[in-house]
Amino acid sequence: MATKILILAEHSSGALKDISFELLGEAHRASADAHVVALLLGNGVSELAAELAKKGASEVIVVESPALENYSSDAYRHEILAAIASEDPDAVLIGNTPNGWDVAPLVAAGLMVPLASGCARIAIADGSAKCARKAFNGKFVHHVEIVDQRPIMATMDKGAAAPFDGETDGSVRTLEPTLDPGKLKSRFVETKKSESGGLDLSQASVIVSGGRGVGAPEKLDVIRELADALGGQLGASRAVTDAGWLPHEHQIGSSGVTVSPKLYVACGISGAIQHVVGMKSSGYIVAINKDPDAPIFGIADVGVVGDLFEIVPALTKQAKEAKG
Amino acid sequence: MKSLVLVKYVPDANSVFRINSAGTWVDESSLSFTVNDYDRYALEELLALKDGGAVEEVVALTVGPQAASSALRTCLATGADRAIHVRDDALEGSDPLTLARVIHQAIKDEGFSLILAGLQADDDNHTQLGGLVAGLLDYAYASAAMKLSLSGETMRVERELENNELQVVDLDLPAVVTVQTGINSPRYASLKGIMAAKKKPMTQLGLTELGMSPDSVGAGASKLKTVGFESPPKGKGAEILTGSPDEVAAQLIKRIREHAGVL
Ligand SMILES: Cc1cc2nc3c(=O)[nH]c(=O)nc-3n(C[C@H](O)[C@H](O)[C@H](O)COP(=O)(O)OP(=O)(O)OC[C@H]3O[C@@H](n4cnc5c(N)ncnc54)[C@H](O)[C@@H]3O)c2cc1C
Repeated sequence: MATKILILAEHSSGALKDISFELLGEAHRASADAHVVALLLGNGVSELAAELAKKGASEVIVVESPALENYSSDAYRHEILAAIASEDPDAVLIGNTPNGWDVAPLVAAGLMVPLASGCARIAIADGSAKCARKAFNGKFVHHVEIVDQRPIMATMDKGAAAPFDGETDGSVRTLEPTLDPGKLKSRFVETKKSESGGLDLSQASVIVSGGRGVGAPEKLDVIRELADALGGQLGASRAVTDAGWLPHEHQIGSSGVTVSPKLYVACGISGAIQHVVGMKSSGYIVAINKDPDAPIFGIADVGVVGDLFEIVPALTKQAKEAKG
Repeated sequence: MKSLVLVKYVPDANSVFRINSAGTWVDESSLSFTVNDYDRYALEELLALKDGGAVEEVVALTVGPQAASSALRTCLATGADRAIHVRDDALEGSDPLTLARVIHQAIKDEGFSLILAGLQADDDNHTQLGGLVAGLLDYAYASAAMKLSLSGETMRVERELENNELQVVDLDLPAVVTVQTGINSPRYASLKGIMAAKKKPMTQLGLTELGMSPDSVGAGASKLKTVGFESPPKGKGAEILTGSPDEVAAQLIKRIREHAGVL
């Protein structure tokens, strides 16, 4: 019998999100005999269902209700549990995205099954699964096994798995919603932009960023001087902006700004996936970090293993000279 | 209104981490531990609600070994009113669902109206304990809060999405909310707070007190099992430059000119 894998499709503003296709791709790779079912919750989403059926789903299950127009944890939990009860999948894959990590533990608690979170890969066989997930914000890969559970549940990191790239001729089916809109414990109000101070790093052609390794707010001057010498802007990891060393508008990454300068210099930044998704399409990436195993060296073009307080000032001096 | 914050005692994020000899986790023997960063922000939210009069009591709870009581003492010194330390040797190796069952057992009769936790622990990054506890209690739930505002029996939460977007949701109390870093500026314990903490109650709960059997918890009962731990694959990998600071700087300038067209 085929291995039935249910994925939760995500969409916003009338378009499917990339994670949906990444989950479809990973579901096909997870098991040699995968039967991939996409669960689509929403309101007026028939076009999206047709797209999923063409781009990786063997079957698409659609649940439509005005209460599903926007994501809310309670409505999604309710309908995901209902779909799992009626479809009885071997495994359920959800994105490790803001809405995915919100609803996944509620579903896991409802089923009393373990949840492997933040996975880059999953392999499913005979009711068990092997998952490679991140720990210590990506500094390590934590291999876990889920033994003899139904369903297997995992969340997959965004950008970790390649999207499905073939073509499918899947079928589309509708399930009636079972939630009672009057009884929901959480309700969507609105989506809005967070306030920002006006700096827009997304257009910068050179960015020099500092991370937790800079150590203290006053030491950021070392990074700022290099940025000036290279004619660039000052960026930061979340560790720096959360600590209040720089305003939020300097933060690069999934919850900050996405940048693609010609040159990106990362100083004292470990290279957590949430940072990397915001800068990996930069033209040329330089990493300076004292830890030879820092994940940032995996995506950089050139790296220096050493103390940024020795390397960066030397670089600043020569950059100034080079400019003449 | 009674409130609870779930905290974890984790290795300091500034540490240099090495894999242990069993190849199952980092070697924790030489690391210094601290309150999980996300949880500090969660505690601060509750203390601010208490300052504003919306919350009467702030309780801090951790599940962990003897040493983890230090995390609770920090919470008490910072302003929490009392602490609960769930501790039992049999809990070692418990997966998140098992920990959530233990926490549920410890708090289900307390009647907390608001439970906060960090979005994730900085060490294991499981990003699910708050949601699991909400699911077991059948409380309303929201994750990654960047703003909380309470009006009557409704908690309005601004959840962090991606690309600088926020999603505003209303939760009916009782509720569990996980907190994202940067939501506030956590206060530090004052000397007065540290002295006052010595007189604040810290309850120890073992499995006997919780009415749970040792074989229902721990590594044996957990269905999410660690089978390996390693450094991440290097990917395409950077070209690593070596030499004195001036030498590597010269090499960098050359490459920056050639490959990035800068300078
Ligand atoms: C939902 C969510 C969203 C997030 N969004 C973002 C985001 O948008 N952007 C973001 O950046 N992060 C984000 N994060 C946080 C992310 O997971 C990491 O925690 C963060 O990026 C780490 O920042 P860092 O690399 O500066 O710090 P660390 O990971 O602590 O790394 C510091 C590095 O500095 C090095 N170092 C220390 N001293 C020196 C020295 N003297 N010389 C050279 N190197 C040194 C160390 O070796 C280490 O590699 C998010 C996390 C979550 C859960």
